[in-house]
Parts: sequence; C-alpha cells; structure tokens
Amino acid sequence: MSKYKVCVVGGHCSNRVMIVAEQLTEFFERQGIDCQISTHLAASEYGFPPRSNLILQLLPAFTEAEAGCPVINIKPLIGDPMHPATIEKILKQVQADYIM
Amino acid sequence: MNSRIYLDYCATTPVHPRVRNAMLRALDEEFGNPSSMHWAGTASRGLIDQARMDIAHGLGCRASEILFTSGATEADNLALFGTLRRYTPDECHLITSAIEHHAILHAAQHLEEEGYAVTYLPVDQYGLVDPEDVRRAIRTETKLISIMYVNNEVGSVQPIGEIGRLAQGHGIRFHTDAVQAMSLFDVDVDKLNVDMLSLSGHKVYGPKGIGALYVRSGIELEPMILGGPQEHSRRAGTENVPGIVGLGAALHLVQEYRQEERARLSELRKNLIVGLQSIDPGIAVHGWEDAVAPHILSIRLTGMDAEMLQIRLNNEGVAVSIGSACNSKSIEPSHVLTAMRMPREQIESTLRISLGMPTTVDEINSLLDAMARALPRAVMQ
Repeated sequence: MSKYKVCVVGGHCSNRVMIVAEQLTEFFERQGIDCQISTHLAASEYGFPPRSNLILQLLPAFTEAEAGCPVINIKPLIGDPMHPATIEKILKQVQADYIM
Repeated sequence: MNSRIYLDYCATTPVHPRVRNAMLRALDEEFGNPSSMHWAGTASRGLIDQARMDIAHGLGCRASEILFTSGATEADNLALFGTLRRYTPDECHLITSAIEHHAILHAAQHLEEEGYAVTYLPVDQYGLVDPEDVRRAIRTETKLISIMYVNNEVGSVQPIGEIGRLAQGHGIRFHTDAVQAMSLFDVDVDKLNVDMLSLSGHKVYGPKGIGALYVRSGIELEPMILGGPQEHSRRAGTENVPGIVGLGAALHLVQEYRQEERARLSELRKNLIVGLQSIDPGIAVHGWEDAVAPHILSIRLTGMDAEMLQIRLNNEGVAVSIGSACNSKSIEPSHVLTAMRMPREQIESTLRISLGMPTTVDEINSLLDAMARALPRAVMQ
C-alpha cells in the first residue's frame, strides 16, 4: 500500500506552512501514523495542489471538489498547534481513510 | 493574468518620469564626488545643494536643516538614537505610540533594552492618539516625543500640530514620521510645531534608498554613522547624489499636485467605498472619516480570509495588501490593528487598498469587478 499523503496548504508564508507541517509530522509520529506530508503555497503555486489523500489548509484555497480528496480547515492550529477540535477532525479523517 | 492594477502605493510608488529624468543627469553627467574640490565634484555638490533647497522650500525650513539619509528608517532611527543617546538612560524618557512604524518601535524597544524609559501611547478604535494622553505621559525627564503623521496601515491622521504645541510648551523635542503624509498633506514644520521630521523618496514617486530628516536648527544629534564630514558631520558617507536629486524632484512634484490629488483621491476613495458596500453590505471601513488620509483605505470584509482574497486578487492582476506580516517564525497580526483593539479574526479579514497618482476610475472599477469575483472564493471556513 502506498503511503498516505497529506498536503498542508498555506498562503504566502512558507515559514508558517513549514511550522505547521513539522508540528503535524511530529503529531502523526506520536500517533503511530505513517504518512507523507508535503506543503503547498497557494500564493506561488496557484492551481491544484499536489495529489493527496488529505488536504489540510490554513486558508480557503481549495474545495473538496477541486482537490478530489477531503479538505480540512486547520487555521486554528496557527494560534494553538494542538487545537483540540481541529486535531480531532484530522484524526477522525485519517483514521477513516488510513487506519480502518 | 489580466492587465495589472497596482493599488499598494503605501508600500511603494513608481518613479515618476520627471524624477527619473532629473536623476539621469546625476547618473550620466554629474558623476563627481561632491566632496571633491574640482569641477566634477562642484557640479555634483551643486545638484545636492539645489535638492536641499527644494526640499527645504517644501517644508518651510532652512536648507541647512535638511539631513540626507538612506531612507526613512535611518531618519527615524537617527531621530531617536541621536536624541536619547546624548543623555544617560536614567535622565531620559521617550514618548511614542503603539502604532508607529517598526523603524520607530524597534528602535524604541532597543533603547528600552539599554535602560531608557519609553511610554507607548494607546490609540482609540480609529487609530488616533489622544493629545491628552500625551500630556499625561510627560515627565520631567521626557526628552523626546515621536508620533507619526499619517499611519501607513489605516490612514489615521494624527493631531500633529496639537501634540507639537504641547511638546513645545514643555520644552520637549517633537519628531514625526511624515512618510505617508508627504504627498497629500501640509508639511510646514513651523505650522506643525515639529523639531524633526522623517521623509522617504520611494513613497512620493522618487527612488528607493534615499530619505531625509529635517532637524530644527540648534538641535544636536549623536551621529549613528561615523566617517567623513558629510552632512555637517551628522551622517558620514559619500552622498547618494542621484537619490538626493530624485528626492528633491519627487517632493517638488507632489507639492505641485498636492491639492488636486487630494481632492481627486478623496473622490476615488469615496466611490470605492460605495462600490465595495454594494458587493459586501457588511463591510467595515477602519479610521474616522474626518481624520483619515484620502489615499488609504483599510477595510474589513465580512467573514473573509484576507490572505486568500489578496491571493485571488493578485491572480487577477490586482495588487493590494493585508494586515498581517510574516516574520521568521510565525505570522504576526498587525500591531496597528491590534493596538486598535481588533480581535485576531477581524485582523485576518482586513485588506488595505492604497491609491496613488496613477490610479484611475477604470482601475477602481476593475478592482470592484475582481473583488466581486474573488470574494465568494475567500470565505473563512
């Protein structure tokens, strides 16, 4: 089975996207979830994001119809890297797609 | 990409052809070092002298009171460091506001780390400093008050003349960063009661890398750059002759068009607000209409992610800016909007549109069309 692919989408700031992606990588590792995390900046790479199993976006860049996969808004993670409701939403989706 | 529309004149302005032509002479013909005693140096010196006189004329001051710098950041830094470092930290207090440009705020924070006392005045919901707060903050050891003329993010126009009178009455030096005011406001230093005033070339259709600090005659400043005797030993280094010529020409230009541009941009801004209201009736305009610069429009759009909106507008060729900035570790909400007690969510829905001399009615209409298309695709989730 190929690796589960997660794409973190941001706007202009590559730092912010990188920080969130790193935090999510650590989180997935702690959860024992083996996935591949990539990043995408809507400002410089306008259009469709790389093919992913899940898109976690910091701003409303893509709809599920455009992306062809589930899309979750993760903006609350900027202020709180472990924002409970957002983390729960991500986990639920990953568990549904990957673990089950 | 569609045709390009630039509406970010607060960030920078294009060099006006008249300015460019003036600069070309300094670049191509008068290349001499202004400190040299021969014909080449004298010609360059003449260009600097003329620019200095032109700028002084615009500010209503003497030519000898103009000190050229690399830009407004250096001018702001020099006003603060140059004034305070003539005293020991325990005998010196600075008053500034929470919405100043970082060239002031970061310099003030640095001085605080050196032991100087600094008071950061709050602003109201319109981004305005209350002169009464200034009066209350004055201490016996206050040596400098620095309040910006026009705020670059929301366009609030501070009561500079009133604060200046207050400072004068207490024998305290008063500095203003007039970068965003130069093109459209009266900058007569005596009418404003200012002792020091910072200005920048690239915000008034001049080149980048040049600015100036007006320093009232008799005021001593501790220099920050040491070396040769240029600028009366207050700022060492061979002068940026083309930049200085460009700054002189640019200020001459904006003075010439100040009145008509102010009226024209006020009208454009008004029409822009009406147009935006028809797209989003819930739109909030920041600032108080009686004290806001006609070239700056800061707006909050209902439930919008301003960054996404800005990206979508940019994709249509429209350049505007947002209220957050990226630093090395995170995205920081605007310190100006934060000081106006705006919650983070509202800050993230804030967009700044700034108009300039080249802005036309057609461009405003194109912006409104682009906005109508982009808004539904930038709703916060």
